Parts: sequence; C-alpha cells; structure tokens
Amino acid sequence: MTMKTVALAATILAAATGAAHAEWPTDRPIEMIVAFAPGGGTDIMLRTLAPFLEEELDTQFPVLNRPGASGEITYTALSQARPDGYTVSSLNTPGFLTMRIDRKLRFDPTEICPIARIVEDPGTFVVQAGSEFQSLADVVAYAKENPGAVSVATTGRGTDEHLAMIQLEQAAGVKLTAVPFAGANEAKTALLGGHVTMIGLNAGEYSTADHDAFRALAQFSEERSLLLPDLPTAGEQGFDVIMSSERGLAARCDVPEEIRAQLAAAVDTALASPEFQERARQQALPLAFKSGADWQADMPSRLERYTEIFKLIDAGQ
Amino acid sequence: MNVFDLLMLGFSEALTPTNLGFCLLGALLGTLIGVLPGIGPTATIAVLLPITFFLPPLAGIIMLAGIYYGAQYGGSTTAVLVNLPGEASAVVTTLDGYQMAQQGRAGAALAVAALGSFFAGTVATFAIAIAGPMLSRFALSFGPAEYVSLMVFGLLAATILASGPVLKAIGMILIGLLLGMVGTDAETGSERLTMGALELFDGIDFIVIAIGVFGFAEIITNLERSGSEGVKLAPLTRLWPTRDDFRRSWKAVLRGTGVGTFLGLLPGGGATLASFSAYSLEKKVSKTPRAFGTGVVEGVAAPEAANNAAAQSSFIPLLTLGIPSNNMMAMMLSAFMIHGITPGPTVLTTQPEIFWGLVASMWIGNALLVVINLPMIGLWVKLLTVPYRLLYPAILLFCCIGVYSMNNRIFDVMLAAGFGLLGYAFRKAKCEPGPLLLGFVLGPLLEANLRRTLLIEQGDPAIFVERPISLVMLLATVVLLALMILPSFRKTREEAFQEEES
Repeated sequence: MTMKTVALAATILAAATGAAHAEWPTDRPIEMIVAFAPGGGTDIMLRTLAPFLEEELDTQFPVLNRPGASGEITYTALSQARPDGYTVSSLNTPGFLTMRIDRKLRFDPTEICPIARIVEDPGTFVVQAGSEFQSLADVVAYAKENPGAVSVATTGRGTDEHLAMIQLEQAAGVKLTAVPFAGANEAKTALLGGHVTMIGLNAGEYSTADHDAFRALAQFSEERSLLLPDLPTAGEQGFDVIMSSERGLAARCDVPEEIRAQLAAAVDTALASPEFQERARQQALPLAFKSGADWQADMPSRLERYTEIFKLIDAGQ
Repeated sequence: MNVFDLLMLGFSEALTPTNLGFCLLGALLGTLIGVLPGIGPTATIAVLLPITFFLPPLAGIIMLAGIYYGAQYGGSTTAVLVNLPGEASAVVTTLDGYQMAQQGRAGAALAVAALGSFFAGTVATFAIAIAGPMLSRFALSFGPAEYVSLMVFGLLAATILASGPVLKAIGMILIGLLLGMVGTDAETGSERLTMGALELFDGIDFIVIAIGVFGFAEIITNLERSGSEGVKLAPLTRLWPTRDDFRRSWKAVLRGTGVGTFLGLLPGGGATLASFSAYSLEKKVSKTPRAFGTGVVEGVAAPEAANNAAAQSSFIPLLTLGIPSNNMMAMMLSAFMIHGITPGPTVLTTQPEIFWGLVASMWIGNALLVVINLPMIGLWVKLLTVPYRLLYPAILLFCCIGVYSMNNRIFDVMLAAGFGLLGYAFRKAKCEPGPLLLGFVLGPLLEANLRRTLLIEQGDPAIFVERPISLVMLLATVVLLALMILPSFRKTREEAFQEEES
C-alpha cells in the first residue's frame, strides 16, 4: 500500500466515523439490499416502495441486489453492516426460517429483526383449465387410489410449493410426487404440455397468468388474498395447509429501537398512500402490512412447523 | 391472430424509437467487431450481457442479436480487403474474396457478400416466422423425457461439429458438465463442489465463464501478437458488381442460404460451419472446381449467404424449445433469463411481442446492415489502423464492470479471471471452448430433466423408448455414434476441418 492510499483510507475512515455521529436518516443514503435478482417479486416490491420511503424520510434509498443462496448472501451482508440504520435488507419467509433447519449458516438469524412485512403472497395449486380436478378433494381422492401418481411441479426442495405439498400429504394422508423445476415459467410449460398434474404458483403469479389455460384449486393463506377473492382456501376445503411467501424489510436487531420504529412508521405510511396502492395493484403485489414486532412474534411457531415438515422430507428420502 | 397480424405486431414493436435505436446500435457494434480481427461476437456479447439488465427485455435482446448477425457482415469486409478473417465464419471468404480484391474487384466482392447476406437474412427471417409457431405447438409435447433424449443427441452432435479432435471436444464437454454441477442440488438440497463458498451455492454464473474463457482469454491471446502489424489494404474500386457477377452468384446465394438455414438449426451448428460447408458444396457443384481460390464470385457469395442464414436460423431451436444449439445461442438464452423470460412455447403465446419483435428486428437489422456496410465501407476500413494496445484496456474494463454488476461482488471478477487463465490454457492446448460452454448449459438441463422423468415415472426408464419423439432422438444418437466410430467418416471430418483451418 502506498502512502497515498493509506492517506485516502484514513480520510474515508474519518468521514465514516464522523457520519456515524450525525443525525439519522438524512446524513447519507440508506442502502437497501435485495436478496433476489432485479425483476423478481421482492425486487419489484422494494423498488416500487423506495421512492415513497425517500419522500417520507427525506433521504435516499439506493437498491443493491445481492442475490444468491436463497437470501443467505444478503443476510450475511446485513449482519456484517454497521448497526447505524443506514443498511436495511429484504426479508423473505419461509426462506429466512427454513435455511437454518438443514444447513449451517454464515450469519446468526437472531441478529436480524424484521422492520415490517409488506406483502403476503399465498401459495396456490394450479391445474390445467380443462382438468378433471375441481377441488383439492378431487386430487386427494385420486391420489388415494393411485399413490405417487399425482406429480406436483415445485421450484426445488424446501420451497413454498414443496412445503405446501408435504402439508397436503400429511393433512390428507396421501402420497404425491414432487418434481423440481428451475422456475415458475418452466413449471407452467410442463403443466400445459400435460407432463405434470399440478403446479405450485404464488397468488401474484397466478393472478397474472392466462386463466384460459390454468385454473387454481386452492390458496394456502388463512384468509383469502386480495388478489384472489373468489378462490377458496385449503382450510375452507377441509385441509390444514398454510403456506405464504411473506416479504418485508429487516435491519440488524442492535440498530437503535427509535430508528427501527421510524422506518416501520414510514413503511406503514407509504402503504397507506393511494398512489402506492395503485402501483402495487398494477404489479399484482398482495399488500399486507404487519409491524416488525407482530411479524417476529409469528416466527417461532412457523419455524417449529417447518422443522416438522423438513423432518418429514428427510424421512421420505 | 394469423402470421401476418403477428408480423405486423412484430414490426410495430421493432419500429419503436427505442428498439430501432438498439437494433441500429447492435448492427453498428456487430459490424465494428466483425471488422476488427481479434474481437468476436461471442466475447462482445459476453461483455454486454450484464448491461442488457438495465434495458427493456426486447431492446436488449434485439441489440445482442444485431451484434451476432452484424458481425457476419463486418467479418467479410476485412476478409476481402486485408485477407484477415474478422470473424471465424469469414475464414473461407478470404480464399476467393481477397483474390478478387487483388484483381481490382474488391467492390464487387463486398457488394455480392452484402447483398447475398441480405437475401439470406431475409429468407432465414421468414423461416423463423413460419417455423417458430409451428415448432412451438410441437414443443409442448416435449416433456422431460423428450428433453433428455434431445440433449443427449445435442451434446454428441456438438462434439462432431466442433473443430479439432473428437476426443478433445468430448473432454471439453465433460469439463463443462462438471462445472455445471457446482451448486446446490435442487432435489436434496446438498452442496456440490462448492468448496464451502457461499458465492457458489447457486452455481457458477454463465457470464463468469463466458467472459473468462472468451473475453479474457481472447485478450491474452491477442496480446501475444505485436500490436503494430502493418495492414496491407487492397485498393477499393467500383462497388457495383457486373452483370456477369450477378448471373453467376444468384444460384450460389440460393444454395448457400439453404445450407446455412439448415445447418443453423442443428445442435453445434452455426455460422462458421455453415460458411465452410457452403463453400465445399459450391466447389462440388461447380463445373470448374479448380478455379476456386483464384477469385471466383461464387466462392464469396455462397459462404457469405450461408453464415448469415445460419446466424439467424440458429435462433429457431432456442426460441421454440429453449435449447441453445451453439455457444452464441447459449449467450442469448442467458440474455432472456436475465429478464425472467424462459424461451420456449409459452413465450410465443404469452409474450408474442418478444418473439415477433425480435423476428421483425432481424429483417430491419439486415436492411440497416446493407446501408451501414456498403456506402460506409471506407470508414470501417480505417478502423483497422487502430492499434490493439488502445483497444484492450477498454475491453478489459467493460468485462470487469459487466461481471461485477451481475451480483455486485468481487468474487465473480476473480472467478472470471481464473477462467480467463483456464481459457488461455485451452487455446494453447488447441481445445475449443465452445463445447465446454455447451456442456455447461446443457448439463444441468439434462440432469434436471432426467431426474424429473424418473420422478414422474416413479423410476421406470421405459418411457424413453415408449415416447416416439424420444425414441427417434435416441436412434439418431446411436446412428451418430456409429458414424463417429466408422473410420471413413472420421477421415472426411478431419479433412473437412483441415481445409477450414488452412
């Protein structure tokens, strides 16, 4: 290292230390790390939200995508950031909860606290529009007679669709076959060609799909999603299957409480604005604000449930 | 909607100012890198791929496609005027093109090349427009079992059509397959070959490998040569071909177009193979085969038409089945994927503007290229005098920015640098990196589909021979394998590639 770079590093360091003492949040931009690639559901959600937060807090929210390892890269980066409230990240369940079940993580999940949930996107099971199956009960009856013959396209092990399928197997006492695909588009093509019986899609994905070709059988939320008010939940059909993608914002837990509260309030205000709601509707975002504390309170029981499901997956192999 | 309506939709998309602008940009860039020897379309597209991220999907894809077929035009300019193939696919054009230039007929050679390419481009564009929707209806019947058989066939075909010894090509495919294994197993969730690195959990990015083995390695190879080689330019004269030139070349253009369109469809095929095959065919049907190499116009017309036709028809398997037939198409596949579009039959029905916009832009791009290349030829020739030492730092910089911006991490840049060294070693060992890239792209698809098939069939492999499409593919694979072992075929293949290299 030359003298020049040493000097430069010292200047940067001094500036950074100085910044830490200044007033949050207007001192410098708040970095928003997104755990998925640009154009995905999480990315679109946060990029739509960012300008509203910027207006609310009178600062800037540059979005930085750090995709990979279903979010672990982003959570690791977040847990290594300074706890000054200038770094926030996306938070997605069930991924955030399930990743700790079967692998050793490079960050401590208890150090990451949710700020607010923004979207709850329930899972659905979808068949071809012309399929003989009209409800989950039809599928279950068929699977009882033909164990393993009903194939369900998922997007990999431990994903929403896979976890929903295992819950259905358990709730109905049947045997289904999970077939992993690289993404929702591939799964849709396989369903159109009749190569699988059923595919798992999020409500957001299903609501924008071609309804002449696809038909959903059930949604896996506790209450019907805003996006699909006419589709019965699995609970209404007598099967205990709960599976939603929940997406929101998180920060380190040791970020001062008042900063986290201010962030959460800003998200709440943004979500209430009609302008934001209109944008969310265009992008099929099923808005469902929940405060960070409430969301966090949900997590232990969910984690317990997923841990049980993973045990079932491992037992099945 | 019928084909006509859809084509109109395509033209209305392709003619929006943005898309037209990116089409022109792609055509210009393609011509530029086609003219400059040492920078190929594969490396260029690898560099630009991450940048298309920030463009609307169609605009980005239009631009990248423009670079590919634009390079076919630009490559011929250098081949004719300086006896240097600007592009691998223009190698055979040097044989007769440069001779024509020596005889003071450079203008005629260039005009025949450009007009022949335009004609071939038009035909191939219509081939895509007609075959695309037909094939895509057929494509829905492609289930996991069919994909497995198709990919086994494709991988084997790629080894045959790659230049160099078969054994090396197979070796490169196997390395590609191995690299494709890196990451998390989709079904069991276990890590494979990640060495515990979090950055490798999702596997190695295509762009990292592409920029490494094509971009970086190409720069290193070029730096071996001194940057100040004198470029001898043949004099440029009257541009318009004689009546006799037209009379002799139109049949050659037709045959070249046919050969190119067909070879572009095959896995492992593409512009280079097409131009070479068209030249051999022309020599075979000619009454005066000995005259080839002394400046006959057919020797320019046929390969130039063929490489352009193939550059475009190789889009057909990608757009209808989602299967890339060569490394260029593998690049295009990842250009689609960046925007969350999986090429295949659903795109044609759900996003017709993407498919038809691209098809229409190809025709517009070809028309633009004739204008860019013929009247402006003097400008492109001047570019040949820019020394490489000024070019490569810029290319290197773009490579690094491109790789970094994908995931915003320096790990990828280091990995790409590693692949650059590996790619350089491959070049030294005369191992073509194309099959590696194909193995890398097709390997995970093959594995995933094989497992899907067996899961759906609950472990019964009989489906591979029960389904007719799959059975045909497997039989074709067996025939191909038998041919490879047959000594007479091996000899022809080796001769063929020797001629290409000379």
